[in-house]
Formats: sequence, C-alpha cells, structure tokens
Amino acid sequence: MRKTIQALSLLAFTALFVLATYRLPDWLPADIYLRIDPLLGLNAVIAFREVIGRALWSLVLVGATLAAGRFFCAYLCPLGASLDFLDLLLFQKAIRPPLKGERALRRWKYALLAAVLAAALLGVSLAYLLDPIALMTRFYTFVLYPLAVALLNLLVDLLRPLFGGLGWVGLAHAGYPQPVYYMTGLTLAIFGAIVALNRLAPRFWCRYLCPLGALLSLISPLGVFRRRVGETCTRCMACRKRCPMGAIGEDPLTTRSPECIQCRDCAGVCPTGAVAFPPTLAGMGEYGRPDLSRRGFVASVGGGLTMGFVALRTPFVLLEGKRPLIRPPGALPEAEFLRTCIRCGECMKSCVTNTLQPCLWEWGLAGLWTPKPVPRLAACEPNCNVCGKVCPTQAIRSLTLEEKNHAKLGTAILRKESCLVWSQNKQCLICDEICPYNAIVFRPVDGYRRPFVIASRCNGCGYCELRCPVKGESAIVVIADGEIRLKEGSYIAEAKRLQLEFKPDPGDDKFVVEESGFQLKERNNTEKAFSPDKQGEKAAPAAPGTIPSGKPKGFL
Amino acid sequence: MIDSKRDISRRAFLKATAAGAAVLGMAGAPGLAGAAEEVDLAVVSGEPAAATRKALEAVGGISRFVRKGQRVVIKPNMSFAKSPDIAATTHPQVVAAVAQACAEAGAREILVLDHTLQRAELCLDRNGIRDACKGIPGTHVLALQDRKFFQEIKVPKGKVLERVEVLRDILEDAVLISVPVAKSHSTTGVSLGLKGLMGLIWDRESFHSQFDINQGIADLATVIKPRLTVLDATRALASGGPGGPGEVKKPNLVVAGTDPVAVDSYGVGIVPWYGQSFKGRQVEHLLAAYQRGLGKIDVEKLRIYRGSV
Repeated sequence: MRKTIQALSLLAFTALFVLATYRLPDWLPADIYLRIDPLLGLNAVIAFREVIGRALWSLVLVGATLAAGRFFCAYLCPLGASLDFLDLLLFQKAIRPPLKGERALRRWKYALLAAVLAAALLGVSLAYLLDPIALMTRFYTFVLYPLAVALLNLLVDLLRPLFGGLGWVGLAHAGYPQPVYYMTGLTLAIFGAIVALNRLAPRFWCRYLCPLGALLSLISPLGVFRRRVGETCTRCMACRKRCPMGAIGEDPLTTRSPECIQCRDCAGVCPTGAVAFPPTLAGMGEYGRPDLSRRGFVASVGGGLTMGFVALRTPFVLLEGKRPLIRPPGALPEAEFLRTCIRCGECMKSCVTNTLQPCLWEWGLAGLWTPKPVPRLAACEPNCNVCGKVCPTQAIRSLTLEEKNHAKLGTAILRKESCLVWSQNKQCLICDEICPYNAIVFRPVDGYRRPFVIASRCNGCGYCELRCPVKGESAIVVIADGEIRLKEGSYIAEAKRLQLEFKPDPGDDKFVVEESGFQLKERNNTEKAFSPDKQGEKAAPAAPGTIPSGKPKGFL
Repeated sequence: MIDSKRDISRRAFLKATAAGAAVLGMAGAPGLAGAAEEVDLAVVSGEPAAATRKALEAVGGISRFVRKGQRVVIKPNMSFAKSPDIAATTHPQVVAAVAQACAEAGAREILVLDHTLQRAELCLDRNGIRDACKGIPGTHVLALQDRKFFQEIKVPKGKVLERVEVLRDILEDAVLISVPVAKSHSTTGVSLGLKGLMGLIWDRESFHSQFDINQGIADLATVIKPRLTVLDATRALASGGPGGPGEVKKPNLVVAGTDPVAVDSYGVGIVPWYGQSFKGRQVEHLLAAYQRGLGKIDVEKLRIYRGSV
C-alpha cells in the first residue's frame, strides 16, 4: 500500500517533470512539488523578505502535517521514495549495525535547518543545497533527463531499420534533441552520495540530514495519529528493527514522534497486532519534542549566519551592479533573484532551446546552479515563456509571451575585430538573417555593407551569437547591458518608457536601399567571367567593374 | 474561356504523353497545334488551396509527376516558428493542396520535409503546415535537425561545392516537389525555390562563411532537381526576409512549373523587393543557375498559363 502510493507519487513527480516543456498549459502547475515544499517557501520568503504567492501553496502541506503528521516523508517525497526503492535494490542484504552517536546524528538535520534559515535571514539562499525536492529536481534535470533522452535516441536508432521496414515513417525519422548541462557530474555525485549513505542506515538522509524533514518534524507531533502499543506486545523488537526512521526507542512501547513518518510499517510487522495508530488529541508527550540542544541550536544559527556572511562578502556582490551575467527573461533584479532562486533546475529542464545552464562559480557560492542563458549554445526562443511558468518561487516571473518578449535579456554587441564582414570584407549576414527582432541592419562603410546592432530593438535573445559562423567566440555577443529586470509591473510598459521597439517596423530594411553611393564588393563583378551564355544572350545585366548602387544584397 | 482552354491543353498533354503523337490529332481542337508542349509556367490567382490545385492542373496535372506507388518528398519552407501571416513560411493550404494531389495520384508515401532553422518542434507547432496536412493519406510532416538523416553526395559540376550532405529521403527514387514561399532574403535578395533547396542540406553555415552563397545555390541546383516547383506567392515577404517580420504583400498567386529557374525568375517580378522592382537576371544566384544551363530566366520568353479561381 505505502509502496504503491510512493510509486504513484514518484510517477506523478516524473510526469510533471516531463510535462514541463514550452507546451505546458497555463493551468498545469508542473512545479507543484516544489511549491508545496514549506522549506523552500519559507527560505525564499525569508530571504526575499516578501510573501511569494506560489510559496503559500506550502501551507497545504503544513496544514496536512499538523493534522496527520509527517506522512509526506513516507508517502509523497520523491527523494524518500527513490531512497526506499534504491535501498531495496542495492542494500537489501546489507547488514547495518546500529550507528554510534545516533542521537547526535539526529540533531544534524535540525542544525542544518537552523543554519539554512539563519543564512536566509541574511538574504542568502542555501536551502537549495539540501532541500530534497530541489535536490531531486536537479538530479532529474541534470542527470536523468539527458540520460533518458540519450537512451531513447539509442533505442530509436537501433530500431530505425525495423520502423522503416514496417513503414512507420514518423518513428523512422524520430530523433530527440539531446539536452546537455554543466554540473551533471557534480549533481550525480551528490545524489549518489545520498543514496550511498543508505548503506549505513535505511533512509540515512531522511533521519539525519534532511532539513525539510526537520521542519516537518517540528510540527508533526501535533498530528492526530499516534503510535500506540497494546498489552499484547511481547517486546520482540521486530518493530524497532523494521522502522525506517529509527523512531522507536529502546523500549518498543515508546515512539519518538517527530521522527515517526506514519508509514505504519511497525504495525505491519508486529506478530501480535499490538501496534495501532488511533486518532488521539493528547499533547506531545515525552518523545514529542524535537531533539535539539540549545548549544547545538546556537552553534548552527551561528554557522548559518557565518556562511551567509561569507557568501555576501565577496567581490561578486560588489560586481552585482555591473551585471557580469545575463539571466533568463523575467528574472527579478539580480539581488532579489539570488535570494529567491532555489536552484531546482526546473527552468533549465523546460527551456525549449536548452540555452539555460546552471552557473558554476561565475557568480560565486551565492550563484551555484542559478540559471543563465548561454547564447553560444542556444538562443532564447520568442515563442516560449516556460521558464517563468515553472519557477516555483517566481525568481523568474511568469509572463505572457508578449510580456516575456519585452523582458530584454541584454544587448548584442558586435566585435568588429572578429566579424567576417568588418574584418575580412566577407559576405555574411547570418546575424541579420536570424534576428527575430530585426535588430541588425546593414550600413555602407568603406564600400561594403556592414552589420550594426540597433540596441533599441535588440531583445538579447542571442540568436545572432548562436549562429555567428566565426569559429570560437562569436563575433556578436549578448551582454547584460540594457537588460530589463523588474520586480513588478509590466515589461511592455517599461520597454515603451525606454523607447524600445521589439516589434520592428517592417519597412526598416528600405533604408539600405535608399542609402546610395556605396558599392558592392569587387567579387560580384567577376561573375561574368564564368558565364558561357548558351542562349546567346548578349546584354549583361550590369557592366563589369561597376555595380548599380543602392541595390539590396543579392541583387545585381 | 480561360478554363476551357486550359482543360483542353491539359487533356491534350496527357493523351500525348500517354498514347503518343497519334492521339494528339484526335484531340483536334483548334489552336492547339503546339499542345504537345506544355506551358512553362502556370500562374493562378485565388485562394491558396484552390489556386494551387488549378496551377497543378495547368502544368499537366500532378499525375504527370507522381505515379501510383511512388514516394514523394514535398519541400515547403517551414524553417521558422512563425504563423503563416508573417509570410516567412509556405502557406499551409498550399502545402496541403500539393500533398492532397499527390495522395490522390496514388503516392505511397508523402514526406513533407525541411531542415528547420528554429527548433523542429516549435516550427511544426507554429507554422500550421503539420496541422493542415493532418489526415492526408500517407503524409508525414517532419522537421529534421539531426545529421544522421543526411547523406553526403558528390557535386560533379560544382564550382564551390565538391560534395554536400543532403537529406537521405530525397535520394533514390523519391519525387521531389519544391513548395517555397516568396520572400526577401537579406543575403541572396530573394528566397524562392532555388534558395529553398538549402533546406535539404546539412551544413548551411559554410554557404555564408566559406564561399559565395550564390554560386553555392547554383551548385546545389545541379544535384537537387525538383520535378516540380510550386511557388507560394499568396503572400510575399517583401522585406525583412527570410525570417520576418517584414512587409507582407498579398499577390494571391501560386506559380507552378518544372523549370526551377523559370519559376523563381517569374517570382522575382511578382512584387517589388525592399521597395525596388527586379528581374530574375538581377538576382545573383538565379543568374548563376541560368548561366549553368539549369533553366530559363527571361520571363518574356516563357509560355505562361494565367488563370484565376
């Protein structure tokens, strides 16, 4: 029964993850697991210092836990479910002697919780490092998702001849763009370590480290379902051995209620049927209080504040105003963005072009795993606004397509020294051809038409940087200059105020024609040389050596 | 009047090809002495689907190109995730009408293919072609962006291209029908049928960075030869091409013909591009293709059927 619910929950988590694409309908909250996570919500609200609408969803889980205990860990948590299933797979036969210093270990999760929230007080978001839902979403995004697509493509490739033979044309042409991410290795290592800790004790992570579990355990003893052991108990200790959380004391009649996750495994294994979970309204009782010493509490708050302090006192913070990084469209102003982003990776998973990548150390400790577009890899697609839609803390605001297309990411700048047209007089207009906002125009300079960026039209989408044929670093790059980052209000209105025009005037290209007095390159004129004109045509369209001026490119 | 003339010439043509010159005499309609030779171009104005059907009839009917059991590749321009009104992609109804005609002619498999510039799924979702072709028997609309679907071929007559990787599906026995949209192009002036052939190859960057794109397009036209080109000029993106947005004109025309240079050359004259009127000869890549003997370029010398629906 519990395993079934766990499997269903993991399936739901996976399905929502898979559905988080640019096609995501507005009504479907793909980030619902992240939204109901009170640790992420509390952390973001404390760090951001404002109430975040989506974080209020976590009150659902808080309320449910108040009523029914810490059932989330046993039934719904996708990380808990993964650990349970992997434990069956990997460590079923492992002999796990009781850990030394168990009681001290148990306190760790409270210490971590206190540290995380203390750091949040300073405006540094650290919960993402340890929150199970964020961890799980990151693991899915950076490890499982690329792996699954690779395997799917492998399978399709293997079966392709078969599909072809059967006349299944669609499948015979199937191919899925392979997502790639930085940080895949590190994410896998962290998840692997959490799984490996199960070797020491079942649900080691949940028992000793999980700060979300710690948060829930603070309120779960108020739940109405309590473990009660009847008189038929023979003290066989089967329940104690079975309990995945180590919540049963040396006396099997007692229960550490904060640790109890309502899995009822103890009731299931009891040979005499002595264990039951009747609804009760009694208080917390002897084992009802979370186990955290005052000294431990002070130490961890101090530790959290220190970490927060360290994360804030860096050159990165001084550089913040200079915006070394570009951010996804609709991202809050940088300081608020860093406070609010929980690094779950959902935006990077759903990004249709795979341009969003996790930061490594570009932005220091405070920026780890935060999303940034990498235009050389892929551009920000004008038809897509999914990153904000799936952001559980609205560090990236959920915007309509039109709003999103006014949320300027930055501005493209031309590096003339490497641009093929500027530096080598080559015939290249890829940046102009691909620009969805018509922000690139050609003006005659030194006898050639050369590209210029109209900054007021450039949306910073990065298509030009992506497609620039210069090998190595692109000759046109998006920098954060001119980006629009609004905490609230309309991007359209802001763009209007700044006199930006992201829907270009269709007639713009005309001015290229109207500019006269420049010549196309010599190369065009040599073309007459190859033309054995079989039809006996005599009139060449233009005299060699001169090209009629004022023609758009491609015309003679 | 125009209608009946067209009908007769088409019938005459079919009979001529089917039963030889002897049958032609039996058709015996006056004024059809030269009916064994079909028109070079059909230019039909009207609603996209109807105009396309009529243009196909006027060039001899689709069965002239597609026979029962054959595999057809239709190459529209679906390179952008833009709606049809932007005119950066072929009108869905034009593509669907061609596919439908192929299906009626008994094609075994009809692949509507393009190597899109924007993400395949986005293009298929937004430009309407996949939706329009839904339900046409044997038809599959596919945007291919993986190199594994391409195969290298030689370009024996190439001036700048020695070899090129093309979509494998157009090789072997497939009947290729090009269904481009009429649009301006910032590099090549216009993007019609010949420029559209670049949607069938893998590496397009080198056309822009390594050699002259106009000669490259002409090279490509020596190895990729559509049996029929159906130019969608129901709308024309007169500036801001190839991706738009730009000035969209509404010529309401569909131009069909077997000579890709002739179709394009006619297409050049349909609207002014960037505010100026041009002829086919003034388009560098068309001139290059013409100079290679790949088709006729002077519109005045073409036999053109004009009609409307």
